[in-house]
Amino acid sequence: MNRPKRFITGIALALLASAAAACGGGSSSSTSGSSGAASESIKGQSITVLVPYKMPQKLLDQFTAETGVKVDYVVTGWDATHNKLLVANEAKSYIADVAEFDWSFTGQFAGAQWVEPLDNLISPSVLNDLKNTDAAFVSGGKTYAACYSNDFRVSMYNTKLFAKAGITEFPKTLDELGQAAEKLKASGVQYPLSIPMAATEGGVTPWYLLTLAQGGQLFDENLNPTFQDPESAGYKALQWEVDAVKKGWVSPGSVSMDDSVAFNKFTAGETAIVLATGPGNMPTANDPSQSSIAGDAAMGLVPGVDGPGGSFGLPEGLSIPVTAKHKAAAAAFIEWWERPENAIEIYKTQGSLPCGASTLKQLADSGQLQGGDIVNQELPHVGPLFTAGAPIWYSQFSSDAQGLLNSAVKGETSVADALNQLADKASARNS
Amino acid sequence: MRLPWNTGDGDRTARETLILGWILVIPAMLAVAALILYPMVHGFQQSIRSGGFLFGEQPGYVGLRNYRDVIHDPASRDAMRHTLEYVVLAVTLEMVLGILVAVTLHRVFRGRGLVLAVLILPWALPSVVSGVLWRRVFDPDNGLLNSLLMQLHVISHPHVWLASGRGAIVYITLVHVWGVLPLVSLIFLAGLQSIPEEVYSASSVDGAGPLRQFRYVTLPLLRPSMAIALTVGTLLAISIFDEIFVLNGTALNTRSILIQVYNTTFAQADFAHGTALAFLLAAVTAVFGALYALVLRRATV
Repeated sequence: MNRPKRFITGIALALLASAAAACGGGSSSSTSGSSGAASESIKGQSITVLVPYKMPQKLLDQFTAETGVKVDYVVTGWDATHNKLLVANEAKSYIADVAEFDWSFTGQFAGAQWVEPLDNLISPSVLNDLKNTDAAFVSGGKTYAACYSNDFRVSMYNTKLFAKAGITEFPKTLDELGQAAEKLKASGVQYPLSIPMAATEGGVTPWYLLTLAQGGQLFDENLNPTFQDPESAGYKALQWEVDAVKKGWVSPGSVSMDDSVAFNKFTAGETAIVLATGPGNMPTANDPSQSSIAGDAAMGLVPGVDGPGGSFGLPEGLSIPVTAKHKAAAAAFIEWWERPENAIEIYKTQGSLPCGASTLKQLADSGQLQGGDIVNQELPHVGPLFTAGAPIWYSQFSSDAQGLLNSAVKGETSVADALNQLADKASARNS
Repeated sequence: MRLPWNTGDGDRTARETLILGWILVIPAMLAVAALILYPMVHGFQQSIRSGGFLFGEQPGYVGLRNYRDVIHDPASRDAMRHTLEYVVLAVTLEMVLGILVAVTLHRVFRGRGLVLAVLILPWALPSVVSGVLWRRVFDPDNGLLNSLLMQLHVISHPHVWLASGRGAIVYITLVHVWGVLPLVSLIFLAGLQSIPEEVYSASSVDGAGPLRQFRYVTLPLLRPSMAIALTVGTLLAISIFDEIFVLNGTALNTRSILIQVYNTTFAQADFAHGTALAFLLAAVTAVFGALYALVLRRATV
């Protein structure tokens, strides 16, 4: 890597560490921690890990060889994982020793004391390294999860299909995006855009992103909804999605398509643009064993109104439920995951962009951070979805939004009706 | 006066029989109490409690407020309406088609055994699996139905089959009926086979043709089977979940009450309102069950 590139990468790292979580501030980070929790006392224990993403068995075997702790690694979809955790936690029953902890869980899970604060379970050096990205998981001064997926939204496109359509660069504005979609259609791409619109969490994320891209917010600082106003960014964002369906920019099936299916259509070469995805998906899109467009996938800045638009962070972490049977072994597993060599290997195979400052530095220095320049340019545009942190009623809001937005894109409800109903429900929950 | 045959041994035997009876029954009663009664009582308690701090409330009992809330909630009311549509449509189709299939299979013909074996297949498939199969058919982008209709030039663009309210409910009902029809048909077939041949012979002698025989002999004598088929069909349609969830997720246009219960309870973590809705559904199901049991009793006595 040459010097200017290293300099840019250095800036990217600093920004990445401070902004990707997009839910708080923080100072610089120190080096990574060690696997301090692994000791004789945990040898022979078995832990269950419940996370919505796969992990190579080879890595899990390494952990077992190092610590003597066996891992039952359970993968379910994001929505299913969320629901399983809710039920188990409400019933105060055991579900896993290490469990998924999304940025949106913080208010609810920490408030209900469903998860252990990690401050006394994980070594301070590891938590320090995660300090900035972990801001999303802090409540009442306690850290409830260790970030493992430094996720925020960027766009992705197929350079080959763009070249075929005569488009030389990724659109900077939503108007240009529409023009590009028309050109791509004319060049033979039947449905140029991949935008999931099913009644799932992944189906509402594009609306969140488009709202920020339109230059607005969903809620004001007092958590009052702002999206019901036809001039608001949230209203325009949903109208844009409805228009995308009507104009054939997205496939008709998008209204029942989840984010994983939408991304698969992109990696299969059926669509040319993924409007909202994580930077961690770049290795997958360019991996010949997982993608038909390997080598042609590139990242683009999320288009906005007059130039690149706003984006938001959705970091995901690992938590230890209060009902966990082997908390020390669980802590050892989290520390092991956060070790730079393991986090990088997981990024390369599974696509979770690491969170630790030292890991990110190592990743960038070794030239393994795909699309680093775009990541660097996107970060200044990344902001929080909720300026005051995810509210305690986020699950209910998200569930309401899933059904109502899906009705609007299907044409069953008007944009105004859907957003008015959603605003009424959100206001009632916030009152 | 002690009767000569009442020696006291009989008392002891009766007592021992009684004790043995209790010993045999108690494990089953404990199992029922642990697996049915306790969850029901616990569930009911939850349905009359507040949502707690997650909903900005103090924990405590709120009487029937949660029941009132779900009855007045537009999403729950839509789900109730959808469920009623599923039930009416599914049960009607199952009754009509079930009798037709049973009457056809009642005749002896070559390959009848094979047809019976094939007929039972959809019933043998778990409803999630049949939902996944039918998703391949209805998929708007790569589905079999769109592909076929476009090749036949019936439609020019892919149709999103599960997007519109009424249409989606009809298609999902068809998938449900596809799975339940074999069972209903077999119930009717068993009923047909229990009708004595002599009744048909006597009606033929009286000059009744096939249609009059069907109207005045077959249908009245099938009444017990109808009651059973109606009960089974209604209960399965009221509790429809898998087919909807696999084909259209929790989309508002096809939500049944059970999907609404699932969404309220698990996606929104609103256990209080979720269990209240579930108890309302259980009450409706119990009423239907009781009505059909009454009809069945009248039909068989």
